[in-house]
Amino acid sequence: MELIVQVLVSGLLIGGVYALISIGLNLIFGVVRIINFAHGDFLMVAMYAAFWLHILAGADPYLSALIVLPGLFLFGMLVQRVIVQPIQEASANMQIFATVALSLILQNLALIFWKGDFRTVQMPYAMLTFDVMHIIVSVSRLIAFLVALASILLLFAFLKYTFTGKALRAIVEDNTVARMMGIKVERLYLLAFGLGAAFTGLGGILLIPFSAVYPTVGAPFTLLAFIVVVLGGMGSMGGTFSAGLFIGVVEAFGGTFVSPALKEAIYFGIFILVLLVRPQGIFGKGKGTEEIGLK
Amino acid sequence: MNANRLKLLGILLLVATALVPVFAHSRFILHMFTLIFFYIALSSAWNIPVFGGKMSLGHAAFFGLGGYTAAILYVKYAVSPWIGLAAAVLVALIGGAVMTLPLIRLRGPFFTLASIAFAEALRMIAIDWRSMTNGSVGLNIPFRPGFAQLTFQSGMPFFYISLLLAVVVVVIAHKIRYSALGYHLQASASNDEAAQALGVNTKKAHFIAFLWSSGLSGLIGAFYVFFIYVVEPNLIFSLTLFSLQPALNGIIGGIGTIWGPVIGAIVMTPLGEYLRFYLGTIQQGLNYVVYGVVLIVTVNFIPGGIISLIKLKVLKSKGASGSVIKTKEAA
Repeated sequence: MELIVQVLVSGLLIGGVYALISIGLNLIFGVVRIINFAHGDFLMVAMYAAFWLHILAGADPYLSALIVLPGLFLFGMLVQRVIVQPIQEASANMQIFATVALSLILQNLALIFWKGDFRTVQMPYAMLTFDVMHIIVSVSRLIAFLVALASILLLFAFLKYTFTGKALRAIVEDNTVARMMGIKVERLYLLAFGLGAAFTGLGGILLIPFSAVYPTVGAPFTLLAFIVVVLGGMGSMGGTFSAGLFIGVVEAFGGTFVSPALKEAIYFGIFILVLLVRPQGIFGKGKGTEEIGLK
Repeated sequence: MNANRLKLLGILLLVATALVPVFAHSRFILHMFTLIFFYIALSSAWNIPVFGGKMSLGHAAFFGLGGYTAAILYVKYAVSPWIGLAAAVLVALIGGAVMTLPLIRLRGPFFTLASIAFAEALRMIAIDWRSMTNGSVGLNIPFRPGFAQLTFQSGMPFFYISLLLAVVVVVIAHKIRYSALGYHLQASASNDEAAQALGVNTKKAHFIAFLWSSGLSGLIGAFYVFFIYVVEPNLIFSLTLFSLQPALNGIIGGIGTIWGPVIGAIVMTPLGEYLRFYLGTIQQGLNYVVYGVVLIVTVNFIPGGIISLIKLKVLKSKGASGSVIKTKEAA
């Protein structure tokens, strides 16, 4: 029984980070309507940035967010402007290949510059844990969960109460009408891509105290984020959050009771199951699923 | 150039290629040609479902299933590789059916994504299932040269095996494209609802296209394992080598055409090997950065691939006669 609660807690904690990363993807997907196959690689870039800021400047990974997040925001905007915008009207297949190419470039640039080594940031607080009723909670994972939760709530508030946020939601609903209402759609595409990249980058910052970074660290996260988004319903931020926690828990149980090596196989199983049973997602309505290819 | 002349030119090129080992004895050159032929075959097999607009980035799954089946049967159960080839096709077909049945209704990016997940899941299983696959170490094909063992002292036999394989797959792809199945696929790609309304069972067409594609990929994978004497999960199920690369060849050569993947493989394989061996010793991964850049440039500026440039050139030199385009497209 204790083991089950322990696994549940670890799953929920990491699930918060998954939700954060997936919300970044959902934002890009919902607003810009592009499938970003390089999403996980944004995470990798952020993790390397935090790693090097720590090694070269001695910056605490959490503090390095002050530099890394604006950097990723700009990077996301750059990607939108240079790579995505020219092919926005192209066929879905061409769009796939533009972002696949970006992923290939980012991963292999990382390999060229920093080799395939696993690199970790050694922080004194990384190993800290505390005990609540015989359940061991890792401090850095708890921080990751809480920060993820706080930033997700912040994003919700932004989308709900600010004018820009409402404009973003209008684009998610119907970008043609949004354009007719005078919303500067292209500019908000830039914002959405930047925000999506920054959220994913924050995920990387939160992971770095307890995970290693290497060139292909992001690849499974791309897959994971997609599964979370499909599961939660496309365009539905709340659904994405619940689905992120759910995937975290499933992964924790699978890792403990089946085999940690079969993570991807478990993801794939869930993905197929969701697509078979409820392609519109479990939590959300699944707006925009038709045109993107889910039916 | 009319269709007959093109055909003649093609046959002459093929004969000239087949004569390469007579003149070039360098092991390196034979190896390069063999690799190109393998990639022509794999890219053309990948291309078959693309006629219907289904782009997989998980063909390493079938390639690897075929490779592992043949290798396991030979190494662990001493089954002749020639029987193993048949088993490889069978297992790859099963893999193709297992992947396609649930995913067939997905379109565009979701299909592509699910196909990546499928191949990655198989890679994980191959690493995990140590009793059968020997884990991430993989299995070595013992070097016992002989026709029955599908293992050869010289590079020549595999040159011809892979050439034959490439020709067979291209011919099959051509036959499919201009059969009822091919037209059903193209109809589904341009407008699935309309095709269905006209009574085309598009799901069935996609499924059959995938069976052809996966079965052929499995066969190619099985041959490939005997060509390199080893099967290991991170190589044979490699996303970049056997899922992305065939797709890349197809896009860069010209997506959805018969000759696009062929041209793509001929151009990209030597480029990749050059970057890997001549610059790769200094910078591992540079070849993929170049691929990525080429890909982005292709998608942005020549979405029709290299073949569209050739067509344009033929059109210009022939004074814009419509029939040239027609025959070129039919070729």
